[in-house]
Amino acid sequence: MLTLLSMFYYICLRRRSRSGTRGEALTSRRAVESGQRAVLPVSVEVEQYAKEVLDFSSHYGSENSMSYTMWNLAGVPNVYPSSGDFTQTAVFRTYGTWWEQCASAPLPFRRTPKGFYSKDYIELGFEEPVYPTAVEVFETYYPGAIVQILACSHNPFTQNPPTDVRWEVLWSGEPTKVLTPQARQFSPKIKHIGFPTNLLRLEVNSSLLDYYTELDAVILRGVKERPMLALYKMPIIDISDLSDSEEELSDVGGPFRQGDGKHQRTGNGYFDKLPYELIQLILSHLTLPDLCRLAQSCKLLHQHCCDPLQYTQLSLQPYWARLSDASLGHLQSRCTLLQRLNLSWTGNRGALTLTGFSSFMKACGLSLVCLEMSCCHFLNEACLEVISQTCPGLQELNLSSCDRLHPQAFTHISKLTRLRRLVLYRTKIEQTAILSIVTFCIELRHLNLGSCVRIEDYDVVASMLATRCRSLCSLDLWRCRNLTDRGLTELVSGCRMLEELDLGWCPTLQSSTGCFQHLARSLPRLRKLFLTANRTVCDSDIEELAASCPCLRHLDILGTRSVSAASLKKLLQSCPQLVLLDVSFCSQIDMRVVQELSGLFPNVAIKKSFTQ
Amino acid sequence: MLSVLSYGRLVARAVIGGLSQTDSRDYSLVTASCGFGKDFRRGILKKGMCYGDDACFIARHRSADVLGVADGVGGWRDYGVDPSQFSGTLMKTCERLVKEGRFVPSNPVGVLTTSYYELLQNKVPLLGSSTACIVILDRQSHRLHTANLGDSGFLVVRGGEVVHRSDEQQHYFNTPFQLSIAPPGAEGAVLSDSPDAADSTSFDVQLGDIILTATDGLFDNMPDYMILQELKKLKNTNYESIQQTARSIAEQAHVLAYDPNYMSPFAQFACDNGLNVRGGKPDDITVLLSIVAEYTD
Repeated sequence: MLTLLSMFYYICLRRRSRSGTRGEALTSRRAVESGQRAVLPVSVEVEQYAKEVLDFSSHYGSENSMSYTMWNLAGVPNVYPSSGDFTQTAVFRTYGTWWEQCASAPLPFRRTPKGFYSKDYIELGFEEPVYPTAVEVFETYYPGAIVQILACSHNPFTQNPPTDVRWEVLWSGEPTKVLTPQARQFSPKIKHIGFPTNLLRLEVNSSLLDYYTELDAVILRGVKERPMLALYKMPIIDISDLSDSEEELSDVGGPFRQGDGKHQRTGNGYFDKLPYELIQLILSHLTLPDLCRLAQSCKLLHQHCCDPLQYTQLSLQPYWARLSDASLGHLQSRCTLLQRLNLSWTGNRGALTLTGFSSFMKACGLSLVCLEMSCCHFLNEACLEVISQTCPGLQELNLSSCDRLHPQAFTHISKLTRLRRLVLYRTKIEQTAILSIVTFCIELRHLNLGSCVRIEDYDVVASMLATRCRSLCSLDLWRCRNLTDRGLTELVSGCRMLEELDLGWCPTLQSSTGCFQHLARSLPRLRKLFLTANRTVCDSDIEELAASCPCLRHLDILGTRSVSAASLKKLLQSCPQLVLLDVSFCSQIDMRVVQELSGLFPNVAIKKSFTQ
Repeated sequence: MLSVLSYGRLVARAVIGGLSQTDSRDYSLVTASCGFGKDFRRGILKKGMCYGDDACFIARHRSADVLGVADGVGGWRDYGVDPSQFSGTLMKTCERLVKEGRFVPSNPVGVLTTSYYELLQNKVPLLGSSTACIVILDRQSHRLHTANLGDSGFLVVRGGEVVHRSDEQQHYFNTPFQLSIAPPGAEGAVLSDSPDAADSTSFDVQLGDIILTATDGLFDNMPDYMILQELKKLKNTNYESIQQTARSIAEQAHVLAYDPNYMSPFAQFACDNGLNVRGGKPDDITVLLSIVAEYTD
């Protein structure tokens, strides 16, 4: 018995000793680390790569892949210092002005402030919050697109709901045109801010670039403790600075509501002599914050500045960082004649709620024709229901990249039967919802279903479009998984008015079925055709396009091995309006051919990308 | 009393033995690579690791060590396509998936499937085909998860004996299963297997186990007993000695491949298939040699 007991004791001892050594080792390591931390000066700079991509407005890649997607911006560089068109980088959906030249592009909003260039954005989370001292962006192909870098006070990795979310501009500039596609490390001089951040936002504008810009990685440098220098530094007073006009926009009309009775003097100098319309015309050139500031200057101008006719178009996108329920509430009374509203990028992290949004829409939705709501993650099913109830005359709706919107929500869109333009790029819309939309919204002219991964059978959607929406003018099916020649043939036979067709990265379309030739013959008005990365596009398709589509302006046939220089030349000769031709990664078309064709047809931008 | 004592000692040993069996230490793989291209070009080519048309990668993530080999099918050279582009891109993509943690250690076929899918997402119109073998060691569970498509393969050697190995997958003689992307119009004419057709196994490893992963260039020229003989020379688990052994195995296979009188396993197999062939099989050779060791940071 004694031996048994002693043996158990022995076993226990061994186990304890083993765990003991492990534990000791761990604690000693911890001690070393903390010791280091204590010794290091507090102003030591931390350098970190992005941990996670949190949000973005568009990307070239597919939703369930990693090639050319925004998620590549997290982590260390994959490509830098090499230059070229590589799969491992983050690429946005568009570049240049090609997409804006199309009929499907929305009209620009009036009053967009001069300094607002941003077209796309990406938000990056970093491990540790720091006071930023530098931001470095590795741009590996056609650099120069970044126009703004912002930092957020909210830590995206905490469980707490965001409260008092502040955004500060670290750097902003104009879009630049860099002539060479060479890689570069972009590290602008940034402003010091008064809070630590681990959430950066890059905003880009690729409109001056010759091809897609590619970003490889982002470094955030910063210090843990607030740098002493920043305390003594005079704040730069900048009238266009976001934080300065913040109060004014949110307090819009505030003091004047009570103050109306006090001001009895009517002398407004010569302003009274000016015709009402003339003052209105002058005011129409002001930006929204300026208009709000002017409203506080005198009674007459207050009356002018609050005239609903000044607010038929309202773009709040440039003020996404500080738009809240309160600011919508203040604008509400002036916007009764609102026709076009741009709320893109706004309302995230709790800034807008269902209550604020629905009260605004109830007051101002009646005459609304156009509603832009790209990347509005506050949207939910109830919001879409509100839109469908309050905006009976809505003709344009953009919900692109609202990728957190529940599939059920899209069923409400079918109640907007006057719709002419609908953008559902990167949403979770499902088969039943899109079919019911197509059934009821028969006036649709422009439809974007790019990267809608939840649609099961694009052939069914295509044939429904062909029977219901005969006046369809542009259709974007970028990266649809399973459109076949059957669906395409029905589509082009039914929708004869089609001018723009994006069939990029639709791998199931086979040229051997003759679908592309049938397409060319059926659509004589075709102006834009994207057959990006369809490996089967061949010479006879190009020749049919040359013979049947004289109005062609944009053509993309990236990544086919079966198109020769001879057929391209024929195309260029018979399509005098052609301005964009992308022949990147077409193995029969080398740089020499491109140079020769560019020389012969100087009006055409012939694109030829490269990987090394 | 004496018998009780000795019995007790036995029990104690068993208990202690049991305790050390369920070891909570993490394992990892120490891996070295060596290889030869068919046309006598040796060493590292391009950016990734390529030996001739073969490609390989060694990558690690928080929870697992992963390695893989791929053998580009040489027949594509007749179509003006560089066969190493396909195998090289496949392996590079696998490596990226691992480094970014986009994989599940217990699902090596998933790594192949995702990687193959990514090849189709490349702007470059890739053509070609390749065999592939992926080996993943789950550090915590000490389990080796493998996926093999085609005639590349791996051996697990413990105490001088092969305790686990991959099965060769062939359609017919000298035509292994292969992942491929065919040119348009030729889809029916080109052999193409789904990555899901890969043979997947799981196996518990112990400290000191040797894992040899290689393309058919090795297995066609060196029978098991010769490989085991070379492996016997491996005495410790430091990187240099593994590298040396890997090199000597690759070199020996390379010499045998060009010996016209040597009856290689390939020639043997050809004879079994009614072909009168002698000598080695000149081919690209890629050898990844790994030892299961205790994990250190």
